[in-house]
Amino acid sequence: MTEPLVTEPVTASVRIAASPEVVFPYFTDPALATRWLADAALLDARPGGTFALDVRGNPARGQYVEIDPPRRVVFTWGIEGRPDFPPGSSTVEVVLQEDGDETVVTLTHRDLPTEDYRRSHQGGWGEFLGILAGVAASPLSSS
Amino acid sequence: MPSDSASPAGTDVVLRALADPHRREIIRLIQDTELPAGQIATHFALTQQAVSQHLTVLKRAGLLEERRDGARRLYRFQPSSLEPVRAMLDEFWPDALERLKRAVERDHPKRGAKRS
Repeated sequence: MTEPLVTEPVTASVRIAASPEVVFPYFTDPALATRWLADAALLDARPGGTFALDVRGNPARGQYVEIDPPRRVVFTWGIEGRPDFPPGSSTVEVVLQEDGDETVVTLTHRDLPTEDYRRSHQGGWGEFLGILAGVAASPLSSS
Repeated sequence: MPSDSASPAGTDVVLRALADPHRREIIRLIQDTELPAGQIATHFALTQQAVSQHLTVLKRAGLLEERRDGARRLYRFQPSSLEPVRAMLDEFWPDALERLKRAVERDHPKRGAKRS
């Protein structure tokens, strides 16, 4: 983690008609995380604890970094088997802001692979897509 | 600019994975559907072990996803392996938070009073 990473974060937010106390456990309780984020979850909600989710077949892996219920939770995130995005390589910060009887959830995903890295990958994937298109257009007849 | 050795290596892995006709055929088979290893193997005049090795190569290249269902392993082509990380998450998080909203509001309906 010595290389400075400058990629612009991904951000998203949503307003939920419930208090932060109600919303917070959806980020820390496996039984609740599987209600919206994951097909399967193994979560140990304390700093350094395991953060492991299967998200549409993608093994998202990392660790909890900070837990400050019901306002803020930070965890790392990467995908097992993706060399360009390995487990723990990026950071997700979730902030819950109370607004009347609602909660505004703001999520910021930082330290993503750098633009340079991404650009070079896009070239790579473009190349691959071309090949795949060729494969699809002329399927092998092996059966 | 310093040369970035990691990225071409990643591309190489994918291209090498695709250099084999059996592996290209496997991708075609699981492009739109999830199949167990055994069923994939029936399409080839190969041992199950040989097919399993091809599946491992494809998995390492990020081209397919593996899911365990009891003793079975199921495979599906992984289209997100083609997307850059950023583009993937740009869509992923807003969708996920919408699902969070629906889940919370379904679990805790507000009617001015608590319901159980």
